[in-house]
Amino acid sequence: MSQRKRLSNTQSSSQNKRQSSSSVTQEEDEDATFTQPSTSQVQRGLEKLTPAQVDQKTAEVVQYFLMKDQKKIPVRRADLVKYVVKDYRTIYPEIIKRAARTFEQVFGLKLVEIDPKHHMYILVNNLETATSRAAPVECPTNPKMGLLFVILSVIFMKGGTVKENLIWNTLKKLRVDPGQKHEEFGDVKKVVTDEFVRQKYLEYLRIPHTEPVEYEFRWGPRADAEVSKARILEFMGKLHEQDPRSWTQQYREAHATQNSS
Amino acid sequence: MRRSKAGGDEDTPRQNGSSGRRRAEHGDGEDAGVDSCPAGMQDEDDENDLGLRREIRSKYRDLINSVQQNREDMLSPSNNKLTEVLEEANKLFKDVRQAREAALDAQLLVVATDLGKEKASQLFYEGSAFDPTAFAEHLLSFMGLNRLEDEEDDHQNEATRDGYLPKDAWHRLAKHTEGCFSTAPSFHYMMGSFHAEPPPPKQRVERQRRVPSKEAKRIMPTQLKKMEESHQEATEKEVERILGFLKSYHQDDPSSPLSYYEFVVDPNSFSRTVENIFHFSFLIRDGLARMYLDDDKLPCVAPVEEGEMEAAGSSTRKQCIISMSPKIWKEIVETFEIRETIIPPPETQNE
Amino acid sequence: MSRQLGDGHRRFLQTMMGVYIIDELKAKALYQYCCETFKMQCAADRLDEFIETINLKLQPMFMQVRKGMSEENGHQYYALVNTAETDITRMTSDYADNELELFRKTMDLIVGSEKGTASSTDILNSTDTMTSKKLKKSETEHLLTRLVQDKWLCEKRGEYTLSTRCIIEMEPYIRSMYQDQVKMCHICHNVAFQCQICENPSCGIKIHNPCVARYFKGKMEPQCPACDDFWPHEIPEVRGLRSQSKK
Repeated sequence: MSQRKRLSNTQSSSQNKRQSSSSVTQEEDEDATFTQPSTSQVQRGLEKLTPAQVDQKTAEVVQYFLMKDQKKIPVRRADLVKYVVKDYRTIYPEIIKRAARTFEQVFGLKLVEIDPKHHMYILVNNLETATSRAAPVECPTNPKMGLLFVILSVIFMKGGTVKENLIWNTLKKLRVDPGQKHEEFGDVKKVVTDEFVRQKYLEYLRIPHTEPVEYEFRWGPRADAEVSKARILEFMGKLHEQDPRSWTQQYREAHATQNSS
Repeated sequence: MRRSKAGGDEDTPRQNGSSGRRRAEHGDGEDAGVDSCPAGMQDEDDENDLGLRREIRSKYRDLINSVQQNREDMLSPSNNKLTEVLEEANKLFKDVRQAREAALDAQLLVVATDLGKEKASQLFYEGSAFDPTAFAEHLLSFMGLNRLEDEEDDHQNEATRDGYLPKDAWHRLAKHTEGCFSTAPSFHYMMGSFHAEPPPPKQRVERQRRVPSKEAKRIMPTQLKKMEESHQEATEKEVERILGFLKSYHQDDPSSPLSYYEFVVDPNSFSRTVENIFHFSFLIRDGLARMYLDDDKLPCVAPVEEGEMEAAGSSTRKQCIISMSPKIWKEIVETFEIRETIIPPPETQNE
Repeated sequence: MSRQLGDGHRRFLQTMMGVYIIDELKAKALYQYCCETFKMQCAADRLDEFIETINLKLQPMFMQVRKGMSEENGHQYYALVNTAETDITRMTSDYADNELELFRKTMDLIVGSEKGTASSTDILNSTDTMTSKKLKKSETEHLLTRLVQDKWLCEKRGEYTLSTRCIIEMEPYIRSMYQDQVKMCHICHNVAFQCQICENPSCGIKIHNPCVARYFKGKMEPQCPACDDFWPHEIPEVRGLRSQSKK
């Protein structure tokens, strides 16, 4: 607590505007009380620590990200600070920067902040996934990714938002009934509306003013960061034996987003 | 099939328009009646009209359900189901008299309009429209669907339509669409996922000593530790002594079962009985004695022979809890007619 | 000393994350593939050097690509392992606490056994002594299947053994935690589970089956390398044409 107080006090000298807003939310939750330290604070914090200490903390943060990524659950900044960064919160920006560098340089991964408001991070692959020659060693595939692919494709091809029934009915045609236990996926409804949603691949939102209650699906921020619309369209083209460009709207969207990223 | 697709597309908005007209027509003629019907109409209707009312409502509900449940199929450019539904509704509307029915008609219209809007939007979409039904069909072929010999009722049940997917269908799809995802590989490990801890000692006697963990022992003051150890020793000695009695009793007459209660109950002392039960439990736990039910479902005990030990160790262990109160103790003493104790009190008691 | 990694190194590491363990031959093929795809220098005998470069960068995160032998076929394998237990590593959720407890019990059984195996019955029975939430029989069976799938255990006719991946990652742990029980192979000096044992009661050394095959190959009257007693076991064939690694 004292640590936190001190943090926002020093903040006041350097950044008055932010301090005033942070003092309001100070007693709320962990994340709200955590204000991003300023550059000068980080500088001062670094001076008090040995390079080895900073390196070690960075390594711990990397480990934490890898561990969380086992189940593809995004890392919340609040948890990261609470469980790993702890007393090093004054140099938090520096540690995140170094962790991101490690991911890029050692693992070929990219640390992405998918939710700037709630400060959530994920790891995505930074290496080109499709290569001309097949690799001699193939990684085992997770069949759930096939399921996810179908859902994301339908959403994308239908313009970004679809009612849940469209998804369930499409899956039913593929012998996956959300009401029945599937031998590969188990509780399908749970996988789709809970697991994929927590992983931030999907958003599952209630449509306002519907009676009975209806839900719709959209792409989640992880899908935006991780999935290539152009590649989906390419696959669609092959599947339907149709030129991907014939889906004009989708084609335009796929290639617009690709250029921007 | 492809041809009719275009036709379907054109049909839809027109149909939608006509449904709007339909409503207007009916509305012109009967608007007032519909609006005031809760009060005005009811009296006019005969009692035997009730059946018809119910039937109309039920048919409306069926229509609404079918629209909601088959939404995608109806959206598919290749069919005219929406038109069919609206024609059906037109027929029903002729007999609509009450507000409840009119409300259902309105509800159906909302659902149908929504569907029509979406169908129309496919028309305005530049380029080809995306048809999820066709997509699913293509995917099924891609995943290697084994279509069973042509059965006529193929179309009747969408979800359980004949044909099954091979076991690796979803793996196959995942493998082929991998390139769409730039998913990070994840790191999995076993070492470090649990607290390092040496295994429990293998021997049975040692297992008994382990009860207070090493950690706890280290913190214990020396004096306490000594006391603890002497207690432990006392227990062990007593357990061994009881085993001796069990063995000798068994040797005297190996063929006749020894009743558990006769063995542990001391008819002269309730507390001695409880002590015996406690100590005997160690023999069971360590696999030195066994317990079983005789023909009368009464518990019996016998020592475990040296040779049997290994086998017994690996067999499933069961637990049972025995409660004992002075009242129960008295009852047992009387029922079993226990006159003397098999396990005499230890002589070294006062040492 | 701190040479930078290229995309080839990264691709190699990523593949290791995905497959957990590969044999030497595949590792060489992968190495070559990575070098070619990312236009890096590649020399056939530089695999270990290539891996060492990766390991230097992994060290701070307590990770390593480690080499070890399969007790089954004697081939060399590479596995990506975690090297330390910390507060963070224990937060992993691949297995629940009670599942990990059962895995440990299985390890206890295997390490404590003569032949380095534990029967499914013994494993099922060991759930009786669990201190965390007791696993049901069906849950235990499901867990064992998962442990085999994830390459932590191997199963043959109801007998479970520690997999090569498990031995490579857990070896330091097993050495320190089971010091009284575990024995080293007299030939390769690594921990030995599935092996032959000298029957001379005052000797009793252990030798891995593949090490036995290699050591006694072509010898007419096999003798224990420690006590010179007659070696009474059947001498297995050396398996595969693959190089026995110049370790």
